[in-house]
Amino acid sequence: MVILAIIIGCIVGALVGINLPTISYTYSGYLAIGIIAAIDSVFGGITASINGKFDLRVFVSGFFGNAILAMLLTLLGEKLNVDIYLAAIVVFVWRMFTNLAIIRRHYIDKLINKMENKKNENKKESVG
Amino acid sequence: MEKRNKIIFSIILGVVCFILTMVIFLQFKTISQTDIISIESMREEELKQELSTYKTKYDEVVTKLEENNKKILEYEKSLSSEEEATNLINKELEESNDLIGKNSVQGEGIIITLTDTKDSKITANDLLTLMNELKQAGAEAISINDQRIVYNTYIVDINYTYISVNGKRIVSPYVVKAIGNTTYLESALSQKQYGYIDKMLAAKKSVVLERQSLIDIANYTGDLSFEYVKEEK
Repeated sequence: MVILAIIIGCIVGALVGINLPTISYTYSGYLAIGIIAAIDSVFGGITASINGKFDLRVFVSGFFGNAILAMLLTLLGEKLNVDIYLAAIVVFVWRMFTNLAIIRRHYIDKLINKMENKKNENKKESVG
Repeated sequence: MEKRNKIIFSIILGVVCFILTMVIFLQFKTISQTDIISIESMREEELKQELSTYKTKYDEVVTKLEENNKKILEYEKSLSSEEEATNLINKELEESNDLIGKNSVQGEGIIITLTDTKDSKITANDLLTLMNELKQAGAEAISINDQRIVYNTYIVDINYTYISVNGKRIVSPYVVKAIGNTTYLESALSQKQYGYIDKMLAAKKSVVLERQSLIDIANYTGDLSFEYVKEEK
């Protein structure tokens, strides 16, 4: 059910996004930072669910909060003539890679455990 | 309760996915549809750079333009002087052509018509005499039956049957056109007793003299060139 909701959300979102009118190039920079923040939140959420610490409220607030905060920081940087969005991107992408590493290790461990279990079962059968 | 929580959880996750993909695709579309090179979509720094390059280019073009304008001025100057020279030469050429009879000319003058009569025929000598008289009276251009009199014109009798002028056969009536001061020309020809007209009339030949304010005399149609004559060095 959760997976179904995610798939439907993705497909409908893609269709709506394609059919929406384009936004000004000036604002697309802010949107890009927002997207990076949101994707970071998604990976963070996956990591949390792997660790069994997933909280919907934390996820949703992080998803929107980080995006909006990143956009605001970019705006502030624009006003101050400092490229704050670079720092935001560095942090988000760094966290993304960290989370990805955790996810990767988790699934690799799972796979290895599975294979070893199978081997052990096979051995038991052959012994038996 | 457990199921309701799950539904809410699913819906929220679906909405989050919906928003995320929507924004991502919107961004894709924006980026792919925006012309990066167009000025409207450029960032300030890029615009500044472009502006400075354009300024440099503009300066270069302006310098080039000035150089080219100078060159054009020079060309125009030389062209005008050349044109003046050409005009002068053309004018001289025209004058020379007028003088030697290569151009059709017009002006005030007289027309003498000589006609054969029963008693007497017009001879080449009559025409030669007339030509001399006209020249003496200041005629500037003469033609006989539209044969222009030029420096090498000859007027001869051929077997006393017809007259050849410039190698062309002409017959009566002989229309002699002469451009010059009409008063001089007329008075020179019509002197009493010894004048050309009286002499001709005495020889029973028909002579008619006509004054005209505008006579057209055709150009010489033959070839005017020297084969043996060379300019003295």
